[in-house]
Amino acid sequence: MILIVDALNKDKFHSVLDDMFRLRARVFAGRLGWDVTITDGREEDQFDALDPGYVIGLDEEGNVVACARALQTTGPHMLSDVFHSILDGEPPLRSATLWESTRFCVDTERLGRGRMRGSVSHATSELMLGAVEYAMRSGISDVITVIDPVMDRVLKRSGNAPYDYVGKTVSMGKVAALAALLDCTEERAASIRAHAGIEGDVFLTDEEALALPVIAAAEARTTTAGLRKSPLEAYCDEQIAAATTAKERVDALRLKAALADRVRSHSDISA
Amino acid sequence: MSDAFDRGGLIDLAELPDASADFDGFLFDLRDRFGLDHVAYAGMNPINRSVVGHVTYPDEWKLHYAQRGFQRIDPTLHRARRSIAPVDWTRLERDKDYLAVFNEARDFGISDQGVTIPVRGPYGDVGGLSLTSSGPRTDWTALCRQNLHLWQALAVHVHDLVISSDSFSNLLRGPSLSSREREILQWTAEGKSQQDIADILVISHRTVEVHLRSARHKLYALTTAQAVGRAISMSLIYPG
Repeated sequence: MILIVDALNKDKFHSVLDDMFRLRARVFAGRLGWDVTITDGREEDQFDALDPGYVIGLDEEGNVVACARALQTTGPHMLSDVFHSILDGEPPLRSATLWESTRFCVDTERLGRGRMRGSVSHATSELMLGAVEYAMRSGISDVITVIDPVMDRVLKRSGNAPYDYVGKTVSMGKVAALAALLDCTEERAASIRAHAGIEGDVFLTDEEALALPVIAAAEARTTTAGLRKSPLEAYCDEQIAAATTAKERVDALRLKAALADRVRSHSDISA
Repeated sequence: MSDAFDRGGLIDLAELPDASADFDGFLFDLRDRFGLDHVAYAGMNPINRSVVGHVTYPDEWKLHYAQRGFQRIDPTLHRARRSIAPVDWTRLERDKDYLAVFNEARDFGISDQGVTIPVRGPYGDVGGLSLTSSGPRTDWTALCRQNLHLWQALAVHVHDLVISSDSFSNLLRGPSLSSREREILQWTAEGKSQQDIADILVISHRTVEVHLRSARHKLYALTTAQAVGRAISMSLIYPG
């Protein structure tokens, strides 16, 4: 399941972003050996201060299992400011309908093998699909993505092959990095879905994500004041907590999402 | 009236003697073309943080907005621009700032059904194009889905024109075309189609398109023909 976090909703998801920065530290500094700065076990750079859009893959408990970061190419982004060696002295592409995607990674420790839900392969495909569909619904037509050759092969065998590359492959720590172009089209989304067997909406609403157990518990710990829940919200959360099967929990989550406006409007009044 | 705008740090472009580009006309055309209620652009200068605005709103609302200093709290300016994706106003929190602006906007017949398309420029300049409609929700959703990619391009276009009309930014901004962008523009000037160029350069049609789009933006051009004309006049390519 995919959650989009940006400047407008990040205050609700401190723990999710924290998990994401820790995952990035394990992947980019650890596994890939990129020259990135780690502070308190978190990999965070100057572009994270620019309010990017994060596409975050969550497992059913609410753990962060995959993530990617999107920035507009009209403003400061990595290919213009940091990865210019890839462009071989050429100025970067700049377009209103072109986004840059960076820091794509998947938690290979937490996830299993195979292709079912809960596998590295499934989480990778779901994140790719989330990124393409997030871009599409934002009126974006193409994405330029900075990846390593391993990721390039993963894209190709996931029904998500780049249609072209920009610049050249350069050395980046233990591995090389290159810039690939991907169109954000129904065809590409369908191809990723067909490859991974993903059906239906992959996006979580903020309310659905907040109800996932790991996130709910973490946010409850960090919220010191903690607004009192409305009886309706408390009932919804009880149903979610009492669910014994995945289907029951999804149904309970749907119920809460369907009632989100009433749950929300009550807390607005009481706030 | 211009006094009121200046005091609030809000500059109405129509009031500026040097506003050579017809921003007003552009926004009104945009409004009529898509059957919208209103179109508004606001950009923020990164140096002095003044807000430059241009809107199709009625004068009474512009005056009221400036007198109330709404440009300092308006969530469609300050919240929405921090997203990278277009922000439908249903996403904005109904906090006191939102209610302050929109409760009074309603009295002036301004709908709170809208979307803001945030723009970021390379020098820390930011802006946003807001579009509103009071039509049925389903029509609005369909209109957005159908036209967002166009509005994205138009938002950046207006932003770049406004920011580049500022003499400070002009110094910083010469179009920096990559050799591939120049090459593709040059073949376009020779009268080749996108498919011809793809065949000549042995790249995909889509790669030609994505480079052309980028070149158009760098040259502040809405059409490829405009981009070719400008590139020739700036000696970036040779006449075909």
